[in-house]
Amino acid sequence: MISFIRIDSRLIHGQVIESWLPHLKIQRIVVADDVAVADPLVRTAMALAVPADVEVVMSRIDEVPFRKFETDAPRTLVLLRDVASAMRAYAVGLIGPLNLGNVHAGPSRQAVSRSVFLTDAEKAQLLELSRDGLAVTIQSVPNEVPQRLG
Amino acid sequence: MRATRCSDTDASVIGLVVATHGRLGHELLATTEQIVGPLACVTACSVEPGASADELRDRIREAVARVDQGDGVLVLADLAGGSPCTQSMALCSKQNLEVVSGVNLPMVIKASSLRNEGHSVNALAQALVQYGQRNITLASALLRDALRAQAH
Repeated sequence: MISFIRIDSRLIHGQVIESWLPHLKIQRIVVADDVAVADPLVRTAMALAVPADVEVVMSRIDEVPFRKFETDAPRTLVLLRDVASAMRAYAVGLIGPLNLGNVHAGPSRQAVSRSVFLTDAEKAQLLELSRDGLAVTIQSVPNEVPQRLG
Repeated sequence: MRATRCSDTDASVIGLVVATHGRLGHELLATTEQIVGPLACVTACSVEPGASADELRDRIREAVARVDQGDGVLVLADLAGGSPCTQSMALCSKQNLEVVSGVNLPMVIKASSLRNEGHSVNALAQALVQYGQRNITLASALLRDALRAQAH
C-alpha cells in the first residue's frame, strides 16, 4: 500500500526519519531516483539512516514496481527528488496524492512556502495534476497544517 | 527566554526544559522544531555570563513551573557538573523532575515524541540516556563497513 508520496530534494533525511516514518507507521521507503541509485556512497549512507525494521528500496524511476507497492501489504513511503521526477513517476504508473516537502531554492524559483520553491513551469505542471483530480499539498512535517497548492 | 506555547488543552505530556550554556538550548529546540514541527510545553534556559547561581536556579525553577502540566518535567542539561545541570539537580528533591546531562539533538527529538506516550519522567529519562548514547556513532566507519560488505 502506498501511504504517502513526497517530493523532497533531500530524499531520506531527518524530517522523514524522525517525523513521517513514525507518524505514518511506514514499513517501506521507496527512493525513486536515478541519481541516488547510481551512487553507491549516497545509496549506502541513506540506507544506514533508516531504522532496521523499515525496508529501503532504491530504484531508477522507470524501474520501480509501483503497481506491486500499491497492492502489497507494507505501508510505503515514496520519495522523489523534484517535480520532474514526480511527473515521470506518475507517467509510469504511480498513483496517489502528492506532498510537497522540501524543494530547494534556486534561480528562477519562487517560494510557495518556507521550504518549497518552484519554477513557473513546475507550478503549472503541478496545478495541471491538481486539475486532473490529484491532491497536491504542501506540508513539511506531520504536525503542520497541509496547505493546498493554489 | 523562548515562548513556551504550553496550553492547558495538552493531555498528559511531560514538560521539557533544555538548560545549557549560551544559546545552545534555544537552538536545539529551534532545530528540533524544524525537524518535527512546533512543540508545546518546552522551553530553554541558558546561563549568560555574569548570572549568579541563585539567579540561574530561579530561572530554571520558573521554566519548570511553566512547562509542568502535572505529569512532571524533564530537564535536559548540557555539561554534567556544569551549572545548568547542578542548579537543575537542586530542584529534583521537591518535584517530579529528572535531570539528564549531555543533551544532544537526537535526545531532544526523541523526547519530543516519547514524552506523550504515558511514561513516567524517570522512564523517559532512562530511555533518553540510552538513546542519546546510541546515536553517537563513528558514521564514516559504518559507511565503510557497509560498502565493504556490499563488495563481497
